[in-house]
Amino acid sequence: MRWLRGGGISGFVVRRVLLGLLTLFLVSVVVFVATQALGDPARAILGRDATPERLTALQNQLNLDQSLVQQYLNWLGGLLHGDLGDSLAAQLPVSTLLHDRLINSAVLVFCAAVISIPLSIALGSYAALRREKPFDTISTNIMLLLAALPEFVVAVLLVILFATTVFTWLPAISAVPPGTHPWDDPKILILPTLTLILAVAPYVARIMRASMIEVLESDYVEMARLKGLPERTVLRRHALPNAIGPVFQVIAINLAYLAGGIVVVEYVFAYPGIGSALLDAVVNHDIPVVQALAMLIAGVYVVVNLLADVATILVTPRLRTRL
Amino acid sequence: MTGSGRDISTGNEDRRGLWLSSDLSRRQFLIATGTTAMLAGLAACGGDTSTSSSGSSGSPTPGGDFRLGVTGGGAKDIMDGQNIVTKPDQARLVSAFETLLTFDREYQLTTDGLAESVEADNPTQYTIRLRQGIEFQDGKTLTADDVIYSLQRIGTEKYGLTGYAATATMDIANLKKLDERTVRLPLKSPDSTVPNTLASYTFGIVPVGYKNFADSGGDPASQIGTGAYKLKSFTPGQESVSEKNANYWRSGQPYFDTVTITDFDDATAQVNAFLGGQIDAMTDLPAAQVESVKSRGLNVLNSKTGGWVPLCMAIDMPPFDDNRVRQAMRYIVDRDAMIQQIVSGYGFKANDLYAPFDEGYASDLPQRDQDLDRAKSLLKQAGMDGATIDLHTTNGASGMVELATIFASQAEGAGLTINVKNDPNYYGDAYLKLAFSVDFWGTRAYLNQVQQGSLPSSPYNETHWPPKSGEGSNFEDLYNQALAATDTNKRIEIEHQMQQYEYDLGGYIIPFFNNLIDGYAANVAGLEPSKGTLNLDSFGRGFRTIGFSS
Repeated sequence: MRWLRGGGISGFVVRRVLLGLLTLFLVSVVVFVATQALGDPARAILGRDATPERLTALQNQLNLDQSLVQQYLNWLGGLLHGDLGDSLAAQLPVSTLLHDRLINSAVLVFCAAVISIPLSIALGSYAALRREKPFDTISTNIMLLLAALPEFVVAVLLVILFATTVFTWLPAISAVPPGTHPWDDPKILILPTLTLILAVAPYVARIMRASMIEVLESDYVEMARLKGLPERTVLRRHALPNAIGPVFQVIAINLAYLAGGIVVVEYVFAYPGIGSALLDAVVNHDIPVVQALAMLIAGVYVVVNLLADVATILVTPRLRTRL
Repeated sequence: MTGSGRDISTGNEDRRGLWLSSDLSRRQFLIATGTTAMLAGLAACGGDTSTSSSGSSGSPTPGGDFRLGVTGGGAKDIMDGQNIVTKPDQARLVSAFETLLTFDREYQLTTDGLAESVEADNPTQYTIRLRQGIEFQDGKTLTADDVIYSLQRIGTEKYGLTGYAATATMDIANLKKLDERTVRLPLKSPDSTVPNTLASYTFGIVPVGYKNFADSGGDPASQIGTGAYKLKSFTPGQESVSEKNANYWRSGQPYFDTVTITDFDDATAQVNAFLGGQIDAMTDLPAAQVESVKSRGLNVLNSKTGGWVPLCMAIDMPPFDDNRVRQAMRYIVDRDAMIQQIVSGYGFKANDLYAPFDEGYASDLPQRDQDLDRAKSLLKQAGMDGATIDLHTTNGASGMVELATIFASQAEGAGLTINVKNDPNYYGDAYLKLAFSVDFWGTRAYLNQVQQGSLPSSPYNETHWPPKSGEGSNFEDLYNQALAATDTNKRIEIEHQMQQYEYDLGGYIIPFFNNLIDGYAANVAGLEPSKGTLNLDSFGRGFRTIGFSS
């Protein structure tokens, strides 16, 4: 397994990219096999009108009469050429169907990420510095509570609080009319983004706090303090870089989770993203759409994890030198 | 009515009862009537009329953008003047397309539509006379050619339109234009239900050469009907926007400048949008939300319908080939409890017969209620006491799974074990081949429903009715006699005999008919409960009688 080592950071990245591709290939097989278990899409489309003649006609039209291996190869070939096939329910190319929804979801995840990550790092660090003082106790307990609440509940509570019952400041749902973009009416992004922030930030903040506490108790921080370095420098130069390594991993897991986990949030807010498209596709047994979205979400997982690993290695000299 | 013909426009002698030939999609019907069992205490809406909550606002005035939220849609949404797949499709269809005849709010057939009369010249020939000077949304005058094209389009099997089965008796190929406004419709066999068929909303009149939205390359300008609103944009699964037809033929209507129909994945977001004022009306308000909506000063429209979710026993398959077993099952059902548990009180009791709004409905037959002792003794006679029976259902229409589960628990009282099998591939796989199953139906008139589900030739005959020999085996003959009956009383008499057979020997257990519950904002005027298949007073009578009050 010598090829698994050497080459420094670039060699590591190349190896991880190759492994990522292998992962995606295996995922594609699993996704394909799993979507077969959704059942016959021709039946799902026709419902009670599925007479044998209409069933056969539709199955031919959808190429469902070919062997599974042939169907898989057709699909994989299309995927490699960037052709995701046609949606069975909408009779439109999957790429057309998902294009706007993809942008909408990306906007939501981006907003949630750029706010929640710095916020939770700051919160976690500050709580570590104020360890066992009122700020730490209160914030830790609130974080624990939020982490325990499913985002569905958080979303509904936010709607009740800000949109329908207590106050009516914000829109209760976040419809994006076709042909417009979410940023045309930024108000609709507030509640979904807030829900996602509340879903993600507690985990990151808690890890940041734990990691920071560990680092603050370490010999080298004590050494730095004894050297007479200003506390600012101690924190910025010595504590933070060492504490943030494990946090990258948690951020990666949460970002990847966001890519799939926004399903629930999009559902509650009727936000036209990939989440509601995935839901609709599963209900309709719309296999090409399910496959495309499953591959997309798997791709996000692989890329985000790769980035997190690289970032972790870059901030951890111990790991860097072992490559 | 006399043998010389039937003039719908003269009205009263031909009160045929209500019937929208139900054109609900098999999968989407009732999707969101919010029916899981809920807190007790919601009163059943009894009485003969449906109720709407108070606080209804003045009269409609012109202007405004009406935003309607509808559940049950998705990527498979379509726009077609004669076809629907999902519930939002129904709203879109009636906004742009109209029918020759119409049903009023009491389900009476009226000549309020595009035809000024539809007359039977003899039992196998109708003459359709169009109203003068009606124009399509693009200014083209409505003529006999459009009617012929429209009916022939529905009657062409390969298009797979919802109304196709109902054209079976029509001699579509020999439709004849008598003059610019008159069409002769010959029939292959006598069929007194033709006017009702022509009034069902999927019999929309489209211009010659019409193609649906998808086949027109997604061009909204291709969707030209005679209706109150003209399609401006449409994104399946998301929303459609329609603008007022300035050229509309009924003076003073419609009121709104635009109508926006938005899809919702589920009722939670839909109710939130409604409470938050982002939509002005919503379909299928969950029963649990009714009180909360009313307390905010929003209105609830509660309409009785003839929709039903039956338990179906195949009368030629064991153990249901023994009528004692069928009778026993019918005595097991606690109908009142089911109305509370499945539709939260929003429904009315049924008696194993369908088509409650048909003037021939056999309301004189004794109401069946739960009688477990009788059920047990019947089962014992049939040698079925303590037996185990499989009951098949699916998450198709709302209430289908709940009905099976609740029936299973009620059957324990008679010592039966009912295994509920929830099969996602139910339709298409085993459907119509099962001994004991659950299905769903919309509102229809009696003879139209018989044609759909209770004849050997019916497309959806779950109970394998009628019997092949003995009592009831002349059911199909009676049906044909009823279709040909030119005398209303005679027809009602025949229908009564048919229902007597179904009541005594049939395979349906029909516990209740469900209501439609919709919500609308305080400033929306012009909606009233109506006994139709479609939500929200048939979507504000095609969005033309509804408007914002000033």
